[in-house]
Amino acid sequence: MGLLEKLLRSKVVVWILLVLPGLWPLWPIFGWPDSSVLADPLKFVLHHLGFTACILLAVVLAFTPLRVLWPKWGISQAVNRHRRLVGVAAFVYAALHLATHVVYETGLDWSQLGHVFQVATTKPFQLVGLIAFTILLALAVTSPTFMLRLLGKHWKPLHRLAYVAAALAAYHQAAARKLFPMQVVWIFGPLILLEIARVLRQRQNAAGKS
Amino acid sequence: MFIRTKKDWELPESAVTSEQAYRTHNRRDFLKAVGLGAAGAALASRGLLAATGGLPAKENPAFPASALNPTAEEFITSYNNFYEFGTAKEQPKVLANRDWKTEPWTVEVTGLVDKPLKLDVNDLIKQAGGIEERVYRHRCVEAWSMVVPWDGFPLAKLVALAAPKSTAKFVKFTSFLDPKSAPGQSSGNLDYPYVEGLRIDEAMNELAFIATGIYGKPIPNQNGAPLRLVTPWKYGFKGIKSIVKIEFTGNEPINTWKQMQGSEYGFYANVNPNVDHPRWSQASEQIIGSTSLLRSRQPTLMFNGYEKQVASLYTGLDLRRNY
Repeated sequence: MGLLEKLLRSKVVVWILLVLPGLWPLWPIFGWPDSSVLADPLKFVLHHLGFTACILLAVVLAFTPLRVLWPKWGISQAVNRHRRLVGVAAFVYAALHLATHVVYETGLDWSQLGHVFQVATTKPFQLVGLIAFTILLALAVTSPTFMLRLLGKHWKPLHRLAYVAAALAAYHQAAARKLFPMQVVWIFGPLILLEIARVLRQRQNAAGKS
Repeated sequence: MFIRTKKDWELPESAVTSEQAYRTHNRRDFLKAVGLGAAGAALASRGLLAATGGLPAKENPAFPASALNPTAEEFITSYNNFYEFGTAKEQPKVLANRDWKTEPWTVEVTGLVDKPLKLDVNDLIKQAGGIEERVYRHRCVEAWSMVVPWDGFPLAKLVALAAPKSTAKFVKFTSFLDPKSAPGQSSGNLDYPYVEGLRIDEAMNELAFIATGIYGKPIPNQNGAPLRLVTPWKYGFKGIKSIVKIEFTGNEPINTWKQMQGSEYGFYANVNPNVDHPRWSQASEQIIGSTSLLRSRQPTLMFNGYEKQVASLYTGLDLRRNY
């Protein structure tokens, strides 16, 4: 077993990997202050949290194609031990992103809450993000083992909504800037390629069996 | 009568470090300042400073710093939208100070005018009668705002110098084109050169301003050296940077952002809290460099608070359609 595989099998290591991105904004705000970040620190945090949520969503969805394509590869076995943890982390970052948006847009003036909600539900760009978040919320709530038992055969179709959430998140991220940001391609491009390869492999396997 | 003579050890008042500067500067700021000072000296010796003409300028009492709360210079010069040097806010400060030369700089005034001009920016400042300081609000279409102490001259003075013909209805501004030293231009993130335009009556409004300085210094490259347009009642993207050509035309010029995405950015781009951007609200704005991390939002004002000066330009115009 290689070192990387050993590390990735460890829950502690994965926890650290998931928490670190959340701590990163502390560095340019408090550690080594960066004027372009301090100009609007909350916006930096807002974008960073959304960015991290998108990455984790793409990463956790890549686990299944990895397992289908390379079932005997140690790394793909190791990461698939942490499907629930990484998925819930994606939801947590999305929730923090939404909470930051509310603080940013209201400036803590809660009389603005209604207006912020009205804007979020009438601008397609924001509504799409909100729907993606709602899906992740439903998936996080139904992620404990007892919920899996409770839902039985309905659990899997429900959790396939994660793909819908990813597509919506990709659109939301692309529309967040004035010009199309290439990071959307870097984040979701590899996932799309893996999914295509996985579907082809599964067809091959099915044809081999019949 | 007592006439006081200065002792030779006495320094002029201007040499005294202000209490505020003394208190806020920590060791890192000091190191930064020394570093910038050294870089500044190196730049000056190479003759790379932008337009120095007319500096220092006197404050125009109609637009004083005391009426607003100017944003710290550090933020004005570190948080920039200047896509010629990258789309991220921190990029222009780095990339616009690498290979790009803003001195010497020639400006051409042309089109439907009786007196076309082609001259160095410092000569233009002289012909315009020198410069003054004005503290203006600055509102970006991305829903953030600053307060900037600009140095420069009213655009109306330049219009008067050019003596436009009666057929001139619009003013078209064109920025520089130099993909070799502007990485954003070579990456083609927008169609370059950047173009902006005003109606001629907007250009002659008392607020329309050509800035050549910020905080009493030549305007930094990342803010649009050596001269840029400032129209404080409009969104920031109307304030075209690093102008090389000003052309008087009969037809409405097509400005860059309108051409790129006309459904979101129009010709007028007047600050208007009642007309939303398709993707976000324009009712309020984030204050750049606010001292409060969480409470840093304020309501956006009609015409960015300059309704008194400019509202009459738009009587009868549907501002919802002409965004």
